[in-house]
Amino acid sequence: MSPTRGVPETAQRVADRLKAKPPWEVYAEHSRRFEVHVNGKTVELTRGPIALEGYGLRVLRFREGKTAVGFQASTDLSEKGVHAALADAERITRYSEFPAARVELPSSSAPPAAAPAVVDKELWEHPVEAVDHYVSTLLSCFEGRRQVTPSFGSVRATLTETSIVNSNGLRVAYPQTTVEFEVAVKAFGGPEGPPPGEYWVNDSGRRLDPASLPAAVDRWCQYAEDVRRAVPPPTGELAVVLPTEVLSGILPTSLGFKVSGSARLRKIAVSPGQRVAAEQVTVVDDGCYDWSLPSSPYDDEGSPQRSRTLVSAGVVQDLVYDSMYGAAFGVPTTSSAVRSAFGGTLAWRRFSRAPTPGATTLAVSPGDGGTDRELIEAAGDGVWVQQLGWAVPDPISSSFGGEIRIGYRIRNGKLAEPVRGGTIGGVVVGAPDAPSMLRGIQALGSTSQLADGFASPTMLVRPLSVAGSSA
Amino acid sequence: MDSKAATLLAEPRLGGASFRAWDGRRWVEAASSDFDGHSLTVVVDSLVDAVSRSPARGPPPGTPSTVRGEWSTRPRRPMSAMGPEELVSRARTALGWAKSSEAIQEAQVRIDWDEDERLYLNTMGARCSQTVHRTRFSVVPLAIEGGRAQFDFFSRGGVGGEEILDSLTEENVAATARRSKELLSAKEPPSGAMAVILDPGVAGFFAHESFGHGTEADQFLRDRSYLQPLLGQQVGPEFLTIVDDGSFPGGWGSIYCDDEGHPGQKSLLVEKGRFVGALHDTETAAAFHVKPTGNTRRSDFLSRAFVRMTNTYVEPGDRTLEELVEEAHEGVLLERGTSGIEDPLGGQMQLKVKMGRRIENGRLTDLVSSMALSGRVLDFLKAIRGVARRSRLEMEPGYCGKGHGDYIPAGSGGAYLLSQAIVGRA
Repeated sequence: MSPTRGVPETAQRVADRLKAKPPWEVYAEHSRRFEVHVNGKTVELTRGPIALEGYGLRVLRFREGKTAVGFQASTDLSEKGVHAALADAERITRYSEFPAARVELPSSSAPPAAAPAVVDKELWEHPVEAVDHYVSTLLSCFEGRRQVTPSFGSVRATLTETSIVNSNGLRVAYPQTTVEFEVAVKAFGGPEGPPPGEYWVNDSGRRLDPASLPAAVDRWCQYAEDVRRAVPPPTGELAVVLPTEVLSGILPTSLGFKVSGSARLRKIAVSPGQRVAAEQVTVVDDGCYDWSLPSSPYDDEGSPQRSRTLVSAGVVQDLVYDSMYGAAFGVPTTSSAVRSAFGGTLAWRRFSRAPTPGATTLAVSPGDGGTDRELIEAAGDGVWVQQLGWAVPDPISSSFGGEIRIGYRIRNGKLAEPVRGGTIGGVVVGAPDAPSMLRGIQALGSTSQLADGFASPTMLVRPLSVAGSSA
Repeated sequence: MDSKAATLLAEPRLGGASFRAWDGRRWVEAASSDFDGHSLTVVVDSLVDAVSRSPARGPPPGTPSTVRGEWSTRPRRPMSAMGPEELVSRARTALGWAKSSEAIQEAQVRIDWDEDERLYLNTMGARCSQTVHRTRFSVVPLAIEGGRAQFDFFSRGGVGGEEILDSLTEENVAATARRSKELLSAKEPPSGAMAVILDPGVAGFFAHESFGHGTEADQFLRDRSYLQPLLGQQVGPEFLTIVDDGSFPGGWGSIYCDDEGHPGQKSLLVEKGRFVGALHDTETAAAFHVKPTGNTRRSDFLSRAFVRMTNTYVEPGDRTLEELVEEAHEGVLLERGTSGIEDPLGGQMQLKVKMGRRIENGRLTDLVSSMALSGRVLDFLKAIRGVARRSRLEMEPGYCGKGHGDYIPAGSGGAYLLSQAIVGRA
């Protein structure tokens, strides 16, 4: 099953060439990627194997009550390359300081209590065939449809063997598959009709699921067609219903940062005991959520993943720490070391980033608001937002906002005409006693969905600011 | 660094090679980060196998580059010569300037630079070797009060070396810190359709999101551009000119040649309000019977080549900001662009900004907090009433994605621009 069967995992090979004073840590990835890009209903480009093997080397040095951190990443696994990376990392420690007297790297390599499903076995064993099958299934879902077509899209599947070795005796390795998918669905045609409309899908996860495509394509085609007849929303403070796909672009970035040790160090975190959300809101940080992109058996320092409640009944319970930020506050790591980029989890190339504390899959517990239809009824008058433009909040002020790419007006408790254009915005996590999106949650749907590494039910929020062209 | 932690990160020494072959119907690609003979053989064999399985034969579309050359930006004051002590010292000084301002509890300073070495070879004999040095900095003073946090930011970047840091001055950092504090008491922005003035950076975002992505000609081939049918038509006022220029001196997105070996160059997209040109790679240039425009770019050897922008900007006009504010009469000035997103088929655009000013009775008044602008590009163009003059056009640094990721350095710029759009809180 492993691409490196019979060969010691990458981190161990680097460690074997490393002549470093402890503490040190090697985080490595050995990845193969396979991509298919489509133009209309034809394959435009195939790519693969795209082979990448690299490592990030971190050394910690303690002096004068502080910790100096040196980090360097490289794709050069030769003795000379490892030596150069170590020299860089050691040099960097001279100019680094972190407010922890001592940092203990994880030593346990015990597996997590419940290892998440993160390997699509079929994809791992037959990547070219699996990606081809997924793409052909996708394209077949458009056959027989009139005036709707995919215009552009790609499937990028990455097979990675991650390995972590440190000077504290830790040695772990695990495989994982990741899938990044996008497709633009275009609706067009008709006599003297409106201009074409497009619904652009972006998603990521751990597996290819071709069986889910027919129903999904039906929905995407409907949204693309509705774009053509959509009108701008009204302006005002309105009830807004947000499905998981939209919430995944808003909540994780802001809440994930506000509950981190990094934010606490800068005095901009929320505090345990602080009310940040409506009473029905409970949020769990679940590193073992099956098939979710942030899931893995171990965090990015090698601590076994686990599940922890961050917000219960709207009140903050806990924050997340890696080894370093935990040491700064005298608490142990919460298995929350993440090597990521702003705005999301990296599908690969995580080895090029040093770890920082962060949440994994934030899972909002379902509520008693019932089905989407019941949430719409409860909204009465408002807007259902199906897709926003780039709405990711800035994590510091927690402000978010974006253009409505497609949504629906809610009138008399029912979905009415499609809306598009205009903006929706607010603050995700507000100052104590200030209004915010989380405090404004009026109802949570009764079932949860996973989208882009975030799990939640549909939410009814009242009010949010909507800017459109008419009152 | 900030006052809690200082980190000097050496970005990864990522190296590798990407191979592309035409199988008679389409391109097939493979890549490796490992330069040893065995790894490269595996990669090449995979392409040979893919091509041999294809039933089609024939050359790829278009005329491949035969350009040969070797270029380097060779900054007079290269960042690599600065050394880590000086680099950290410069950052610490800027941090001190930011934190010396009242109400600034914390600040973040980032100075980064990279050397991007690329070698392009093809079977027609092209051999383009280029090294591009890029330097960038940002200062983010955080004002915190009553559980609320706000910030303004100051950022510059371009192709070059230490000279890029010349504008990292106490005066500029202090002004940014003052604005961070002011943002704590900024009012909510107005909502709805209104007159808008974009600051020069936001005008650059507008150029990028509207006539940048919309004129990438691979979208024409996909029949995915609302602009394609309008080529040759008047789409805006006569004083509006929009350009993409891969040869802009010092521009953040400047290149000597693109990733198919075609020289980086200046391309007029909108000239005096008329939509006159698009951005091309070899294939789209052949399809539309024009020359490649030097806009084929890969994020790196791991990523595919697309038609991409370089430096995209609105050419300055002949008005002043004061005149535009007076003409707007009621509306909002949008400042400090943070992001934008395109809609190549639907013709919408979204621009987000960190702050702005109300325009009331022909005057700039209250500071307002972050906003999003939404609108149809063609409506926005028709509503443009003026572009301000600017003594020196500068490119602001940014990263542009296309589809799912594939980020590349792309510059954007412009001058104050007055139009009409929907604006809301963000």
